[in-house]
Amino acid sequence: MEPSDEVLCERVAGRDEAAFDLLVARYQERAYRLAWSITRHAEDARDLSQEAFVRLYQSAGSFGGRAKFSTWFYRVLVNLCLDHRRKNRWWQRWARDDGDDPSGDSLLDRQPAPASDPVDALGRERALSSLWAAVDRLAPQQRAAVILQVQEELPTAEIATVLRCSEATVRVHLHRAVAALRKTVEKS
Amino acid sequence: MANDDRDILDALARTAPAPPDVHWGRYRAELREKLETRRQRRSFAVVYANVTLALSAGLAGVLLFFAVWGGRENGTGVDLVTLDEALLGGRLGLLQQYAVVERLDLLEELDVIRNLDGLAAERRG
Repeated sequence: MEPSDEVLCERVAGRDEAAFDLLVARYQERAYRLAWSITRHAEDARDLSQEAFVRLYQSAGSFGGRAKFSTWFYRVLVNLCLDHRRKNRWWQRWARDDGDDPSGDSLLDRQPAPASDPVDALGRERALSSLWAAVDRLAPQQRAAVILQVQEELPTAEIATVLRCSEATVRVHLHRAVAALRKTVEKS
Repeated sequence: MANDDRDILDALARTAPAPPDVHWGRYRAELREKLETRRQRRSFAVVYANVTLALSAGLAGVLLFFAVWGGRENGTGVDLVTLDEALLGGRLGLLQQYAVVERLDLLEELDVIRNLDGLAAERRG
């Protein structure tokens, strides 16, 4: 039977390299995807997710087991990403395009295949494209709440733990985010 | 959460863009490298902190020793004698020429000697 994340984390606290490797293997894709969703920059997402693993290795002993390991790890990662965005906000906009995907695909290109009716499909794709672009423009906490819910499928209680706020605050973040997104959809 | 809100969140969940691909082997190798660098930096920091602590403790010990020992010396009065001897030692050359120094006293009286005649005339007058 595979050891749980929490057991592995305890072993990492005892400097068990194999346990650390196993945790990295389990979380690397989720960590990178989450970091990318917040930063929208591949290189930063790689650096930040790696930094989260370094922090995990260094402070695994401080994981008290009160929350799930995934929640604790997401908190470390989301904090790193939000701090990074805060620090780089002014020059990032100046130096980079919004979509810095090395493949060169636009957000529209990365959406699923169109439905049968081309006109409907085009309209829907435009709406979806503008919807995700609107997610990128949300306030950092709102955006993190949305991403944690729609991508990581975390319940409100866990999002609250990750963002260090109450569940009520998370609901407010989500509601305001959705209201802003709806406006975008209506405009488009 | 209202149904409208749920619809929008569901639409986002269905259409979440995928991040660019990553070479996971390289990713883990980079992570190992970062971890190693951090470990080295940390062990250097620990050594540096220990050396600083040892030096500070040593310096504090030396200062304490001088403070306590010096205080004891002052308390017995031995230190003043030593200081006096050191000062006298510095003037040893002067003491060897004591005969000359003794005569210098006469020079101090020279003005008085010169005015002796005047003083005697004043008394007479």
